[in-house]
Amino acid sequence: MSKEQSERRALGVLRMSDDWNYSMNGETVCNGLWIDPRTKIVILLLCVLSATMAPSMRYEMLLVLLIACFGIACRKVRYSIIGALVYAAVYFVTIAALKTHGSVQVMLVAFLGLVHKVYPCGILSGIIISTTKVGEFLSAMNRSHASRKIVIPVAVMLRYIPTVREDWRFIKDAMKMRDISPSLKSFLMHPGMTIECIYVPLMMAASKTADELTVASVTRGIENPKTRTSIVQIGFGIWDAVVTVCFLALFLVGQFCKGVF
Amino acid sequence: MTTQSSYLDKKGLTMKDLVTIGIFTALFFVFELVGSLPFAPNPALTFYQPFGIALLCGPVFLLMVAKVPKRGTIAILGIINGIVWFALGMHWGMDLGYIIMGIAAEIVAGMKGYKNIKWNIAAYSLFCLGPAGVFVAYFFNPTAWAQTMLEKGTAQEYIDTMTATAPTGMLPLILLGTVIIAVISGLVGKKLLKKQFERAGVTEASL
Amino acid sequence: MIELKQINFSYKVSRAEREGGLGRSGQEKGGLQDVSLTIQDGECILLCGRSGCGKTTITRLVNGLIPRFYAGDLSGKVLINGQDIADLPMYEIAEHIGSVFQNPRTQFFNVDSDSEIAFGLENEACPPEEMKRRIDLTVKDLDIGHLRGRSIHELSGGEKQKIAFASVYTMNPDIYLLDEPSSNLDMDAIRDLKQHLALVKKQGKTILIAEHRLYYLMDIADRIVYMERGRIAGIFTPEQFREFSEAKREEMGLRAASLNTVHPKVVSQLPSDSLLELKSVSLRYQKRSVLDGINLKVGAGAVIGIIGHNGAGKTTLSRALCGLHKKSEGQFIWNGQPQSYKDRLKRSYMVMQDVNYELFAESVRAECAFGIRGATLGLVDSTMEKLGLTPYQDEHPNTLSGGQKQRVAVAVSMICGKELLVFDEPTSGLDFDSMAQVAELIRELSAAGKIIFIVTHDYEFICRTCSRVLHVDHGEVCDDFPVSGVTENRIMKLFSMQQFAKGD
Repeated sequence: MSKEQSERRALGVLRMSDDWNYSMNGETVCNGLWIDPRTKIVILLLCVLSATMAPSMRYEMLLVLLIACFGIACRKVRYSIIGALVYAAVYFVTIAALKTHGSVQVMLVAFLGLVHKVYPCGILSGIIISTTKVGEFLSAMNRSHASRKIVIPVAVMLRYIPTVREDWRFIKDAMKMRDISPSLKSFLMHPGMTIECIYVPLMMAASKTADELTVASVTRGIENPKTRTSIVQIGFGIWDAVVTVCFLALFLVGQFCKGVF
Repeated sequence: MTTQSSYLDKKGLTMKDLVTIGIFTALFFVFELVGSLPFAPNPALTFYQPFGIALLCGPVFLLMVAKVPKRGTIAILGIINGIVWFALGMHWGMDLGYIIMGIAAEIVAGMKGYKNIKWNIAAYSLFCLGPAGVFVAYFFNPTAWAQTMLEKGTAQEYIDTMTATAPTGMLPLILLGTVIIAVISGLVGKKLLKKQFERAGVTEASL
Repeated sequence: MIELKQINFSYKVSRAEREGGLGRSGQEKGGLQDVSLTIQDGECILLCGRSGCGKTTITRLVNGLIPRFYAGDLSGKVLINGQDIADLPMYEIAEHIGSVFQNPRTQFFNVDSDSEIAFGLENEACPPEEMKRRIDLTVKDLDIGHLRGRSIHELSGGEKQKIAFASVYTMNPDIYLLDEPSSNLDMDAIRDLKQHLALVKKQGKTILIAEHRLYYLMDIADRIVYMERGRIAGIFTPEQFREFSEAKREEMGLRAASLNTVHPKVVSQLPSDSLLELKSVSLRYQKRSVLDGINLKVGAGAVIGIIGHNGAGKTTLSRALCGLHKKSEGQFIWNGQPQSYKDRLKRSYMVMQDVNYELFAESVRAECAFGIRGATLGLVDSTMEKLGLTPYQDEHPNTLSGGQKQRVAVAVSMICGKELLVFDEPTSGLDFDSMAQVAELIRELSAAGKIIFIVTHDYEFICRTCSRVLHVDHGEVCDDFPVSGVTENRIMKLFSMQQFAKGD
């Protein structure tokens, strides 16, 4: 066993063979059903439309079930099942909430209305984000001639968000050693000081990183005007059609066969 | 001697500008998440979510504009926010709100060439109205909003209570409150910029 | 062939810095005066000298970042194979010149290693089949198969630097530019970097490398260019270089040319009464045990080096010493009293590898009093005086050099009255002078009775400062011995220096 291997074994981290990949949020994913990122955007749009114009809660349940099936096909089994079960719970909470009266009802209905509109899209986007690689996304955007002015900031942003979390851990340590606790209480006691502790190091690090990352990407030719190629091959296949038809059918059924629900 | 810095003074957005926008959008987004956290999952507070966002993001917004005082910066921030929240499954009212208010803020800040901090703060408070788009959608037609949930029996009762206790003053309250909080956040950001970032050589002094 | 012809350059100074007067601008940092240099194809040039001598500036001129990204006044010409670099767009330069930078954390554009390696090729619009072939070749040549398909957020600094190098290697440039690539690397990673450099040199590539640590380049460099205040002050061969006396080398402000000439300087003290004691301490991180059964007795004034591989638990140990890591079993005892993590937090301070995270205020003076209860004016003044910070008291901490920032952090710890200090990689990116100054500072702190832990990969620095070494590996403290002439071999072994010894 090589040193690297034993080190990793010691860390207790499982390594993957070539058919494992990393998604946009850095999770490991195993390739199940693969569809083009652009198809994913289309089904997310259809999902938003279906959820917004859903005729009833039973219809929404069906939508969530379809999403869960899609998730399972993408091998996000646990996530999908839990997602569907949580929705079932929300369903019953909503029925209970409708039994209340007065302003409490107004408040709850307004809130749950938002939940019902957002929940299916949220769970679908969870599946999409965890099964799409940044490179894949970039190539798809490039293929559809999306403006670099949007694509590059989005790519940088996705890469930098986890770094903000790392930075924050260091800053929290530094604050504790100065006897400034990173809590709401200290914020209320010494607002000015706490604000500086949070914003100054984070924004200093951000502007430094911006400079260094620019230099590192420019010296590797990111400004090249040629159409970018990609290590990840993208393209449409039969499954793109199947998935799209499923979501489209459900949307149309919801709009034109309202009586069924 | 020749001063060759044509690239740096270039008018349009350079690669450096785009990377800077990306990094600050990430920071902006993280602060949005943190600011939304106490509001969004709470039925009584969910409609005040724009407050949380407006409160925390001011310094990030102002520093970003100070670092990239060019046309497009704020609009890109708005568009990316719209896209990202859309991808996260948020209500379309919020996504559209971000894009529209992003462009509006862009125009306001652009009137003084992105260099006047007061106008930038005004732009920021406009920008913060974006996420309130969801609630505009709600107040526009609260009955349709709840339609999915309402069985035939409960519908009439709901509409009755809705009209009886209708929080008509709530929408202006949300919008006005957001603007006030955004201005406060902007003033804090202005102070930080003056006190820290200009002295540190991170940005050039603004007006 | 790279030709620098009569280059004069000075960085544009921003208004804030002009008004600041001293600090970064006070040293006229990094400008060049009348520099001419011709580099033949296949040559390996090592640029060395003090911080701010202009060596990084030369690399930036060659890869075109000056004047495109770093503004300033420039005269003279940079020619690559007879072509003026000012006429080429950045992306064309990128096809011929590959650059690797100092900080591996900020070089990545992607979140997974495969995409990062492919990044340059994708930009060049390389066809997918060709891309696959070149990436496979890179992975084989650089022996980085185990790094494929991983998230960059879980890679160590050394692994990130390998990916950064691989990403340039796939583009197959004619010229490799490296700017202090070893700053954040441990000994093993430096050894791998050396092998990679030897490989590209064998392929006939030109290498230009600006560096503080010199020893690992002695077998590779053909010429060593010594710079001083923006001028080339001498060009040597490695043979000439090795013959410099230690005194001459230190006067030039350079690190050792061979680690075999570096010997422990600190006479280890007899262990005085133990002040800090760890009794069968075990540390866990998210249910996983990191370090087990640590027993340790430390007297006042001890300076203890903590060494070990990345991921061995050095960081967890140092965070636990400071009371930042809570999940532990066993006892921390200070002066006979058991210590909770809160007690430890009050008593200790960590000078982080990236000091910027612990600097919050708008001036050095304000920083020294920031958030500290009982920081009197007198105490702040006397501490700044002691650490030589008084001339910079009105500067923004961000405008100071790395070594000066560390001093500010140390000043804070002194004003807080901390008794235990942990330095995390204090010498990364520092030149010889700054390193010697930090060593001196640590000796003073030790004389004042503080307990000091130093997490470091820097053999030279250990020899200068530490009285004792802890080796952390395989989930335990597996070695603990004093630093002296007698134990020199053991330390060298820990640093796996045999590989370097051969060449010397």
